Amino acid sequence: MEALFSWQRFWADVPLLLPYFLVTVKIVFWGIGVGLVLGIVLACLRLRHLAWLEPILHIYVSFMRGTPMLVQLLIIFYGLPLVLAAVGVQEAVRWDKMVFVYAAFALNETAFLSEIFRSAILAVPAGQLEAAYAVGLTRWQAYRRIVLPQAWRIALPGFGADFIALFHGTSLAFLVGVIDIMGRAQALGASTHHALEGYLFVALLFIVCSLGLRVGFNYLDRRLAYGR
Amino acid sequence: MLSLKHIRKSFDREEVLRDVSLQVRHGEVVSILGPSGSGKTTLLRCLDFLERADGGELTLDDLHVDLAHAKRRDVLAMRRRTAFVFQNYNLFANKTARENVMEGLVTARGVSPDEARKKAEEALAWVGLLDKAGEYPSRLSGGQQQRIGIARAVVLDPEVIFLDEPTSALDPELVGEVLNVIREVARRGIAMIIVTHEMAFAREVSHHVVFMEGGRVIEEGPPEQIFSQPREERTRTFLKRYLTDSNMYYI
Repeated sequence: MEALFSWQRFWADVPLLLPYFLVTVKIVFWGIGVGLVLGIVLACLRLRHLAWLEPILHIYVSFMRGTPMLVQLLIIFYGLPLVLAAVGVQEAVRWDKMVFVYAAFALNETAFLSEIFRSAILAVPAGQLEAAYAVGLTRWQAYRRIVLPQAWRIALPGFGADFIALFHGTSLAFLVGVIDIMGRAQALGASTHHALEGYLFVALLFIVCSLGLRVGFNYLDRRLAYGR
Repeated sequence: MLSLKHIRKSFDREEVLRDVSLQVRHGEVVSILGPSGSGKTTLLRCLDFLERADGGELTLDDLHVDLAHAKRRDVLAMRRRTAFVFQNYNLFANKTARENVMEGLVTARGVSPDEARKKAEEALAWVGLLDKAGEYPSRLSGGQQQRIGIARAVVLDPEVIFLDEPTSALDPELVGEVLNVIREVARRGIAMIIVTHEMAFAREVSHHVVFMEGGRVIEEGPPEQIFSQPREERTRTFLKRYLTDSNMYYI
């Protein structure tokens, strides 16, 4: 009988798996990229307590933070094309399916990051905004130059943790048929009857990347210390 | 030059300012004295639209605004001709001393960065802190931060500077250096409205002293008159209590 685990198979799997890591990176890229922009916009909107908008945004954020990522992924992946088709974007059902995977992660990130940024903006002392107004800055200038840079500094640890969580969370995508590195490892396991080596490589790759990200965020944290 | 008329402001149902009017002439230093809760700070904050007054008018030379209904454009215009010095300094925590002083010039007034840098360094030298130009506020003492706060106000060449208890948050041994800088501002002929508890300083530097209590101006006049022969009983009581109390703080 063959050994359950062999280093030979492990090394043979590496070149088969590694290219699919790009799929994971793409999901993280779109999730964080779109989530960051929309999250900051959402945080700023919610801080203005707009009467008609606030209940909608509140429900959105609560839903995204209160339901499992997998549920959201399934709903958005299968449901969003139908919704888009229903509102007149018929060609949505023919789009690259990856668009809906990116959308699922981006919409989820938007909710989580908006809360991280909302609390960070609230943590910037009110006097900073007042001083900006007093030297003649407009609201937009005051936020862009004074409040948001300081909020960014406060949000950084939370953002780093969220980034790493998203990175791990992308492995769910294989459940809707995306061949990312996780999906590829499973497929490889199924066809060769030796899954362990592939999974081990995926685990090691995620550990190395997580540690790398953490080092990067710690470095940013020190760089942005503003003398403290 | 600066005239405020009939300023009213309430927080919830509490009336904080009840019909306050005041005049400041070119280059004049006006001190506002009064017990805590008399509305002094709120008055100053209303003038810079950090609080929205419920009523009142503000005239700065040719610029006339209705405090309660001022449009964004008027608010900005008023703020760009005045400056504010805060009790807690409120230096921009993400900017160095030099950048703090440059910020209003570059972003609000469109001065080129090179020229703004030159002006900022002149202002920092003037408050004696050119050697701290590259430091972040968190590395500076309260007295140094407040001197930079004053440099940040003066560099904008404002027509009037509002100072809200500029030395109240300082350790006693740091008060003197800040008062010296304010004296220099007065010598430059920049008009100021100062809310302060430094009685001796107010007496020395002011052209005009205003005593407020309960949201009203109780009495105003030249410093010699207010401090030596106050007409109102409430002014007398306040000054007597304050002068004895403040002596005791330093024991």
